Amino acid sequence: MEAPDSETVAPSDTRFERETIHILKRLSRRPITPLSDSELMADLGFDSLQILELVGELEDHFNIAVPLNDLTHIRTVGQIAAAVQRLTESSGAPS
Amino acid sequence: MSHPRTVAEALRDASVTDRGITVREHDGRAVELPYRALYDTALTIGGALAAHGLHEGDRVALVLQEVNEFVRAFFGIACAGLVPVPLCPPAQAGDVATFARQSQHILQAAQAAAIITSSDVAPLLALDGLSTPPRVLTVNDLLAGPALSAPAATSLDAIGLLQFTSGSTAAPKGVMLSYRNIDANVTAISGPHGLNTTPEDSAVSWLPLYHDMGLIGMLLCPVYVKSNAVLLSPTLFLKRPSAWLDAISKHRATVSFAPNFAYDLCLRRVKPSQIASLDLSSWRIAGCGAEPIRPDTLLAFAEHFAPAGFKASAFLPSYGLAEHVLAVTLGRDGLVVDRVDSERLVRESQAVPADDDTPSVRIVGCGRPFPGHELKIVDDNLKEVPERHVGSIIVRGPSVMRGYFQEATASRRALRDGWLHTGDVGYLADGQLYVCGRTKDMIIRQGRKYHPPDLESAITDARAIAVSGVVVIGINHVEQPDEIVAVIEARASGRTAELEDDVRRRIRETSGLELDRVIVAPPGTIPRTTSGKVRRAETRLRLQAGTLLSAPAEERSRQPILAGTD
Repeated sequence: MEAPDSETVAPSDTRFERETIHILKRLSRRPITPLSDSELMADLGFDSLQILELVGELEDHFNIAVPLNDLTHIRTVGQIAAAVQRLTESSGAPS
Repeated sequence: MSHPRTVAEALRDASVTDRGITVREHDGRAVELPYRALYDTALTIGGALAAHGLHEGDRVALVLQEVNEFVRAFFGIACAGLVPVPLCPPAQAGDVATFARQSQHILQAAQAAAIITSSDVAPLLALDGLSTPPRVLTVNDLLAGPALSAPAATSLDAIGLLQFTSGSTAAPKGVMLSYRNIDANVTAISGPHGLNTTPEDSAVSWLPLYHDMGLIGMLLCPVYVKSNAVLLSPTLFLKRPSAWLDAISKHRATVSFAPNFAYDLCLRRVKPSQIASLDLSSWRIAGCGAEPIRPDTLLAFAEHFAPAGFKASAFLPSYGLAEHVLAVTLGRDGLVVDRVDSERLVRESQAVPADDDTPSVRIVGCGRPFPGHELKIVDDNLKEVPERHVGSIIVRGPSVMRGYFQEATASRRALRDGWLHTGDVGYLADGQLYVCGRTKDMIIRQGRKYHPPDLESAITDARAIAVSGVVVIGINHVEQPDEIVAVIEARASGRTAELEDDVRRRIRETSGLELDRVIVAPPGTIPRTTSGKVRRAETRLRLQAGTLLSAPAEERSRQPILAGTD
């Protein structure tokens, strides 16, 4: 369901990070420029509820299930993208 | 009227029906737990616990993220005559360090003999600091039995649950509830003066089972009544709020409770296209409690979901506390809003209905006490006050806890001559209870009394003010005048000064109070309990100590993922 992104996306290393950033921008209630080391709460202003909303969106978008304990480790955009990549590859879902 | 039963007896009675519990885990997995099979499993787990050398009265902590594991282990403990101690699991605690600290405190205070947890959570528990480290078991360890042939014989006066309070103002204390307490409250909630539920009713809940509203209201009530229940993982709801309403629609549920914030979350996150596929016409009791009830939220929810058949008459505001098992009053008259003169409320502690053009606050009616239970509003000398006078809420009756576990001083303070001092203030009007707030958080300025929740709602209700968290506290100084401070959580937007002005103006206009200081800080600044309630006392201490704003980002983001439930 991804709409073409006409805005300039922040530099990122992987497709996972690019797509995560796209979702982050859509969920944020203000304009943000997420970078790989941006912290969700401290830098991007996400609260704990928005983080769970993000997890729900990521699960739908990448067709993965994020284990509960992973939630306690998520801090930065890069960490999320890495977790998503790992889960996508291990679940064998079409990429 | 039936005889009081223990939890294990209630499950045994339910097991002869063909009803049961349907679980939806955080990843959407469905697990069926028919009462018949659940009772067999509970006897097996109970037998295994006994075989591990645990004795009647031993405390067994539950630290389980999977709903189906929690339910099976909880009833296993009950069948063995042991005392369950539910704990908040790590995903809800926010992060591993917070989880380790909180669980260590409770395990120590409860002197737990064992912990039932999962293999992924066990390594996160900090057990080294405990004087007598408990035995760590998983549900799988316990499924080999040997099974009990019947539940252990226990007295109705034995402790059936040690419920640690979320401690919005202090360290968590263990509330001791006897089986008689639990039976009394569950029976009152389900009975003709409560929700009037029958075996044909069905409940849907996403509430955490480590808190009273989820555990007592949405798990034990259905078991005692022998009705169906659908229990969703709290994480599933927070990821996809529509899952809650989908379950109500799909299972034709009649009863569901949630705190105010859940109704707000559905308003914001359930899309119009999703509403089209919902049928909420079966929902006859939409309970609301555990945090201040905001009429605007509920009315907007009713309007938003009216096309799906939701009826505003289903709303049932409630008041209760863990020290009273769960419920003290249930607002069976629906959403009754009292608009009272804010000037007379703060100056004279009187709740006088306001004229149209008088500054006012709106307080929601929470219903009347149950038969066999008493409720009084008293002044500082414990003398009962007339209707529409604000005072301390005290209650007496069979639902009142036995005390706090090994906290004699706190128990004596809370229980005096059989009366439970709730620590909340409110008033009665037409016999209905209206709750204003917590006594110890009350702000007094020039003889006028302000309740932080009223001030905080004034800010959050203002549509023009975008905040993600707010707490208002009074700070007592010895050599300077006392200070009233609002801490506002807002995302960095560069309009801090404007936001401060808006907040000051709003408080001035709604209550006539002038704030001494407004602090705008990033989300995650305000300390909260695991259930998301703001910790006013801790906010005050950290502000005075100068550590509220200087905490490192890592510390600040230790905010519970599960906000706002208790």
